[in-house]
Amino acid sequence: MRWNLAYRTLFHDRGKLIAGLVGVIFSVVLVNIQGGLFFGLVNKASMLVDRSNADIWIGHRGMHNVDFAHPIPERYRYTVAGVEGVAEVQPLKLQFVNMALPGGKYQQVLLVGVAESTNLGRAYSIVDGPQDAINRNDAIILDRCDDDKLDSPQVGELREVNGRRVRVAGKSNGILNFLVTPYVFANYDDAIEIGGSNPDETSYLLVRLAPNADCQRVCRDIRTLLPELDVMTSDQYASLSINHWITRTGLGLSFGAATLLGLLVGLVMVGQTLYAMVLDRVGEYATLRAIGLGERELLSILAFQSALVASIGIAIGMVITIILKTLLSSPKATIEIPLMLYVGCGVLIFAICLFAAGLPYLRVRRIDPHTALQS
Amino acid sequence: MTTTNTGTTASTPTDVPVGVQPGQGPASGQKTSAITNHALEAKAIAKSYVIGGQSRPVLDGIDFHVDPGECVFLAGPSGSGKTTLLSILGLLLTSDSGQLLLKGRRVDRLTEVERTLVRRERIGFVFQRFQLINGLTAEDNVSIPLTMDGMPLREARDRAGALLCRMGLEDHRKALPTSMSPGQCQRVALARAVINEPELILADEPTAALDGKSGQAVMELLHQLTKEFASSTVVVTHDPRIYQYADRICEMENGKFK
Ligand SMILES: Nc1ncnc2c1ncn2[C@@H]1O[C@H](COP(=O)(O)OP(=O)(O)O)[C@@H](O)[C@H]1O
Ligand SMILES: [Mg+2]
Repeated sequence: MRWNLAYRTLFHDRGKLIAGLVGVIFSVVLVNIQGGLFFGLVNKASMLVDRSNADIWIGHRGMHNVDFAHPIPERYRYTVAGVEGVAEVQPLKLQFVNMALPGGKYQQVLLVGVAESTNLGRAYSIVDGPQDAINRNDAIILDRCDDDKLDSPQVGELREVNGRRVRVAGKSNGILNFLVTPYVFANYDDAIEIGGSNPDETSYLLVRLAPNADCQRVCRDIRTLLPELDVMTSDQYASLSINHWITRTGLGLSFGAATLLGLLVGLVMVGQTLYAMVLDRVGEYATLRAIGLGERELLSILAFQSALVASIGIAIGMVITIILKTLLSSPKATIEIPLMLYVGCGVLIFAICLFAAGLPYLRVRRIDPHTALQS
Repeated sequence: MTTTNTGTTASTPTDVPVGVQPGQGPASGQKTSAITNHALEAKAIAKSYVIGGQSRPVLDGIDFHVDPGECVFLAGPSGSGKTTLLSILGLLLTSDSGQLLLKGRRVDRLTEVERTLVRRERIGFVFQRFQLINGLTAEDNVSIPLTMDGMPLREARDRAGALLCRMGLEDHRKALPTSMSPGQCQRVALARAVINEPELILADEPTAALDGKSGQAVMELLHQLTKEFASSTVVVTHDPRIYQYADRICEMENGKFK
């Protein structure tokens, strides 16, 4: 009966119920989408690392962000190649250069030189043009997402990078960084030439481990041999790159604050509606208390009602989130919602809904059954 | 009126509610006290409210009793303390002093939880403004007291439906309170008060919100049902048209009986 009473009274007042649900749905969608955008954005900071196919990254002392590299001696690759457990070592060259646009403007790009005949550092995948595009003469690979910035280059088009003519040989889709600087992939030797940099220097050495090799041990061995360099697993460098942006830009704080604010607004809505729902029915609750309903029983009715509002709202909110995510997520503005976010957000909002039921409870506790007679 | 009977306080046993099974007769399982055979007895009840920092007596040493099956009316001008007395008799309000005995057992010193149980199992309430639950059908409203005692909803609905039929509401069993007339609502409220066959029924101006005809109908039903269940009844009213249903009328004035 109590449940009958709880949901009947809840569904009797459709307007209030919908207002409460909207509050919950709003919170769920907001937190998930906001969080998803955040993860999508910060994950761009490590995209080059995540998709490099390498197990270990070796770079300058104090390396902290994959896009900002300092030169290291290229010949160290032979030292690393001699370490037990290393299957392959390849250099990766990163350099900021300028690309001339048809209109006469320039766009700064990040030129990434990838060694021939390896997939180490080959973070892109071709969606337009031949798969081996990078091995053509003076070839560069651009990303579709940078079309706006680079004035819609077509495959086969000639472009000028750092004063050298290159040909757009292929295009990838969705390899972006945290900066607004487009990645331009080129053959390693071409990249050295275009950049006009010292061929004895490179930016990173990427290592592929032999099967069954112990990654930590290999890292240690390399560190012993090359104490002036930093040696990290890909995962370590990826999270370091992400953390760099989150902390340096205060992004975590501002996104977190915005998300929290949204959560708060939604929950204030929920709390307020639940509270208003109870206030509306204080007379009925007083009557129920008068004819013998216990305080605890009354509380369980309220808890049941808010749990119901929370569950329905969270379910609808999740569905809307998934729909929005599918509709809105693009390589440029990726919405990446980890399972943890779904679960955590659901649990948190459910808990806070129950807490919001505690607010009207304070009011209900003070219901004097005597008031039933005094209306 | 002066305080009496204070000497008996210590010797009177304190009542703790005993679970009355639904469907059982109101008096079953209850020990009848040797001291009295009143269904309800109030001794020297006093109550004052603090209004604007000043304590104002509302009830001033009231002695009152109802015998089993008796129907007593409380009459008197507005503000004379009728509702306050009824609230104290119904364990909705505690008196400042005095004793309250239900079937010879003290009930004025119970905890809130115990008082709630006594109200649930032994007292039926009828309110001036019906106080039905708006989200529930007539049948479900009447089922509340049964299901609070643990009866399954289906069975409770059957019994509630049967009682509503007796009250001429068979077409309104599934109706919401908002779609019924005041007279019909009060009959539903009456059904809710008596469904558990309580030993005491308290009604506060049950006909005040009704026209003369529906008021008569409600009182007629109340009269029939209380006679049938042998319930004792206290009705607060200042509606002379229904005085015919009273076994006894007590007039109040300024917190005292005349
Ligand atoms: N909760 C309260 N607080 C203060 N004064 C009250 C309260 N309830 C009733 N009173 C006062 O007690 C007096 C008696 O009230 P009541 O018992 O409702 O009278 P009646 O039902 O006979 O009209 C009134 O003067 C009223 O103002
Ligand atoms: Mg009154």
